[in-house]
Amino acid sequence: MSIEDDEILQGFIEESLEHLADIENDLLAIEEAGADIDDELVNKVFRAAHSIKGGAGFMGLTVIQELAHAAENVLGMIRSRKLVPDPDIINVLLLASDELQQLIENVEESNEVDISEHLQALNAIYEGKEIPARTAAEGDTGDSASAPPESDQEASTAPESPAEAEPDPEPEPEPEPVAAAAPEPEPEPEPVPEPAARPEPEPARAETAPEPAPAPAAEKKKKIKKSKHKTDTSIRVTVSLLDQLMNLAGELVLSRNQLLQTITSGDVRSAEAVGQRIDLVTSELQEAIMLTRMQPIGNVFNKFPRVVRDLSKKLGRQIDLTIVGKEVELDKTIIEAINDPLTHLIRNSVDHGIEPPDVRVRQGKDPKGLIVLKAYHAAGQVVIEISDDGKGIDGNRLADIAIKKGLITVEQAKAMSDKERTNLILLPGFSTAEKVTDVSGRGVGMDVVKTNLDQLGGSLEIESEVGKGTTISIKLPLTLAIIPCQIVMTGGERYAIPQVNLEELLRIPAAKVKERVERVGDAEVVRLRGNLLPLIRLSDVLGIERTYFDVITEETREDKRRNIADRRSKSSPLFRDKDVEQEQTGQEQEEEKAAARTGRERRQSPSSALNIVVVSTGAMKYGLIVDRLHDSEEIVIKPLGRHLQQCRGYAGATIMGDGRIALILDVSNLARMAGLTSLDGSDRANELADAARDAISKTRDKQALLIFSSSPEEQFGVPLNQVERVEKIRRSDIEDVGGRRVMQYRGGSLPLVSIDEVAAVQPLADQEDLLVIVFHLAGKDIGLLAIGPIDAMEVAADIDDITLKQPGIMGSAIINGHTTMLIDIFEIVQTVNPDWFVDHPMSMQVDEEAEVVILVVEDSNFFRNQVKGYMEEAGYSVLEAEDGVEALRVLEDHVDEITMVLSDIEMPKMDGFELTEKIKNDPRYRHLPVIALTTLAAEEDVARGKAVGFDEYHIKLDKERLMASVHRYATAGVAA
Amino acid sequence: MENEEKLADKSIIELATFYVGDALCGMDILKVQEINKLMEMTVVPQAPDYVKGILNLRGQIVTIIDLGRKLGLDETALGDDPRNIIVNAPGEHIGLLVRQISDVVMADLEKVEPAPANMSGIQGSYFLGVYKTENRLIGILDAEQVLRMETDSRTGPAAGGSVA
Repeated sequence: MSIEDDEILQGFIEESLEHLADIENDLLAIEEAGADIDDELVNKVFRAAHSIKGGAGFMGLTVIQELAHAAENVLGMIRSRKLVPDPDIINVLLLASDELQQLIENVEESNEVDISEHLQALNAIYEGKEIPARTAAEGDTGDSASAPPESDQEASTAPESPAEAEPDPEPEPEPEPVAAAAPEPEPEPEPVPEPAARPEPEPARAETAPEPAPAPAAEKKKKIKKSKHKTDTSIRVTVSLLDQLMNLAGELVLSRNQLLQTITSGDVRSAEAVGQRIDLVTSELQEAIMLTRMQPIGNVFNKFPRVVRDLSKKLGRQIDLTIVGKEVELDKTIIEAINDPLTHLIRNSVDHGIEPPDVRVRQGKDPKGLIVLKAYHAAGQVVIEISDDGKGIDGNRLADIAIKKGLITVEQAKAMSDKERTNLILLPGFSTAEKVTDVSGRGVGMDVVKTNLDQLGGSLEIESEVGKGTTISIKLPLTLAIIPCQIVMTGGERYAIPQVNLEELLRIPAAKVKERVERVGDAEVVRLRGNLLPLIRLSDVLGIERTYFDVITEETREDKRRNIADRRSKSSPLFRDKDVEQEQTGQEQEEEKAAARTGRERRQSPSSALNIVVVSTGAMKYGLIVDRLHDSEEIVIKPLGRHLQQCRGYAGATIMGDGRIALILDVSNLARMAGLTSLDGSDRANELADAARDAISKTRDKQALLIFSSSPEEQFGVPLNQVERVEKIRRSDIEDVGGRRVMQYRGGSLPLVSIDEVAAVQPLADQEDLLVIVFHLAGKDIGLLAIGPIDAMEVAADIDDITLKQPGIMGSAIINGHTTMLIDIFEIVQTVNPDWFVDHPMSMQVDEEAEVVILVVEDSNFFRNQVKGYMEEAGYSVLEAEDGVEALRVLEDHVDEITMVLSDIEMPKMDGFELTEKIKNDPRYRHLPVIALTTLAAEEDVARGKAVGFDEYHIKLDKERLMASVHRYATAGVAA
Repeated sequence: MENEEKLADKSIIELATFYVGDALCGMDILKVQEINKLMEMTVVPQAPDYVKGILNLRGQIVTIIDLGRKLGLDETALGDDPRNIIVNAPGEHIGLLVRQISDVVMADLEKVEPAPANMSGIQGSYFLGVYKTENRLIGILDAEQVLRMETDSRTGPAAGGSVA
């Protein structure tokens, strides 16, 4: 196909998809109207179908042509009033339009698709009635002329469509979406909440429409139903916007020339003017470019009438969907990304929110449920609200379930507010419950919705009243690339705080500090309009030296005063009297006032005052104390390097005007780092989230560990199943005999080791109370000296076997926020007492002539390497596979060499049960012993394992037993 | 000309050499993107101690690692004649702060000897080997090892949030 053809085809696809997007909503409106046929609407759909047919015929896309033709026939009958549209007919048409959409999206293969089902259905309707009189050509010519004048009227008569039921104040004055056809006479309007009706584009568009038939058809109708692009690789921009961009680019070039000239001439005065000009041009350019990315949220909203219709039909609900604010514009990437979460929420509302009609009637509600989907601007963000008048979410039941699932404790649940309980549904791990939907009303995948929104920098809140309904509000940023920030300074460095988090700036003059700032326990709080606001010092959270900015000398100085309240000057009673009334919330005024006083007062006042940035993150609000407040600036976020990823206090960095870097603060993580005990309890939400995370981690491959310490700084873990028992002893119980440490234990001497004898870790803490962890190895007991706190827990953490690996330490994992080293007790004992293992079978070298090859199947790198290490150490050869599928492949290739299989149970693709079943049912492999390596030791698992044919079960990392059994099978296998 | 001939031989590489503490270290010059003396760094509180700060390198944010600290020596004093050696790391550039830079030395890889366990107080694991010139000993740094993170980034619940 030539390039030219390609372009035409592309044009056909885009245009057809636009038509189809319109058709869907129009068909719904036709269904709503029933016998009261709206000619204009039917005409429009008819023409859309017709132009798809025409285009497809031209392109040789016969299947599409055929289907469009059949649909057109039926529409023709409706138009000529030979057929009254009922839901069944509309259904067939909708299905046909869905099919058309799929065909067009996959245009290359469309000619091979079987559409007979649709054709039959359509033709049955068509043939059941009289033959429509009109031909397609007639429809075409007649309509393009009459279309534009009618469109306004049509739009206002349309509201019976479910897309815009009664409460919608003004559905039609939609700004033209960027994706619309080119001849828009003016640039895109700013995303203003309530744009006034815009009559002017109407005639202009009709006149300049590029293609006679299809364009007006698409354009003249309600503009709300604009295209939604499925394959959004390109974006349509109005020519006027492009013109504006061109203009600005020209301006920029001119300004650059001016700037260069100024630099050469060294004229400082004109430099200022040039600077201003460049400033202006850049910000306009930025705005215009952002506009090209903005799209109306209607692109997403428009598909919901259909979703609601189909779903409510299926579920036997009666639902009105009201959509408000389709004109609200958002960045293209955000629009695309909210599609799925929104669909999910809408489906939830229909499925679980709105009750069946009979239930509603019994409760005295209108049998028709109402779902309102609303978008509007608030505080520089876009808010999307989905509210229903359904049965609401019962927070108490959610709490019960959360307790049952171990996500929260009973105490936590008691302390929660109703809102917090409702929001439990967002906890990860909550949704995995099978029955949640039945009990609570909602819940499937709500955490996924939240995660998706979090990734966009958005937030989600749920408000619900049982029996009355639920409102879910989503807040989204307008764009992701450039964000306005408040610049502050602390410790001589600048930091940026995103404006979305900023509530207000507060300055407490020195004289008021003592009065306003109070201490509650360790925390400092400030009284702000009757509420207590917790305070965090940025320098403390970041762990840098406390400083303050001396306005007189313009220096940042070290602040030695410990409490904020101590900041008040002690030296000048005079200053205290005069300054009492002074309180400002702006540094400039403060300084001016201060400047008006005597030199002495000035010295004390401004530098002793507190600069507080009041920030909010979700429900939590706190004050961040900084040295200085600077301007607000628009900044570009740049990511930090990987070495700095662990610093959780920053969201990124930005480059300031002077070329230096400022860090962008992540205020929610700062609060967490400060251990902020919030006054309104939002901190509990964090705790809950942590708890939920633990719950999630439980569903992964688990390992029971005994956690202990050897020195206060380091935490260790050892697989619980290796531990015989734990004894509490006193240091004086330890005897130093013959260069060895021993203690009396069960009538004998128990040799003692400590980890630091083998591994380079901190020495054993010098304290009186010690713990001895007793292991039984190589037929002997050995005690490992340790200190508390000691804890046994199931851990699913990823084990890192590289970073901290050293003799005696097999790897590390993050457990409860601490890096925990997993000790290898065999290695420790082997290092300290090498002779113990000499005559023990596990260290026996396999010296038979035949080589023993073991296939180790394990998805976790760590465990695989560990087991491989054990095996190779003992002289066996090892083949590896990451999952069952791969294992079978390896078996196939090496069937003659492999002596036995060691397999994990929990694995992706094919698990250990299935693998073993396959092995045991294959005559080629049946003879191979299969040993399960597992962390699952539940009875039913063992039983199931036996059933599928596992020869033996071993706990991962229980080296001794595993080796013994491997050895047994190896010798047996070789002997045989 | 002579150099070019040498370079044609595959076992010969050029080493950019520099001082870390008292140790003379070298790195394959092809790994080095540039060497600069920009010292206008922004300190990142709470960063690992071996991170000196971040730097604006023509609009890109570059993490500067104090090579002295990283290798377990004292902090590199900014008083001498410090330089940042900017190297390419996966997905970003990273700067290595060194006390002083020295010559570019041609080294024959075949004559590189295994690194001793400890060289001028630096852990042997950071070296690929040592190269002897007439009068000096150059430790050839393993760039990947040096750029590796000391602790995994999977610390704390912040990263854990993505589990869901």
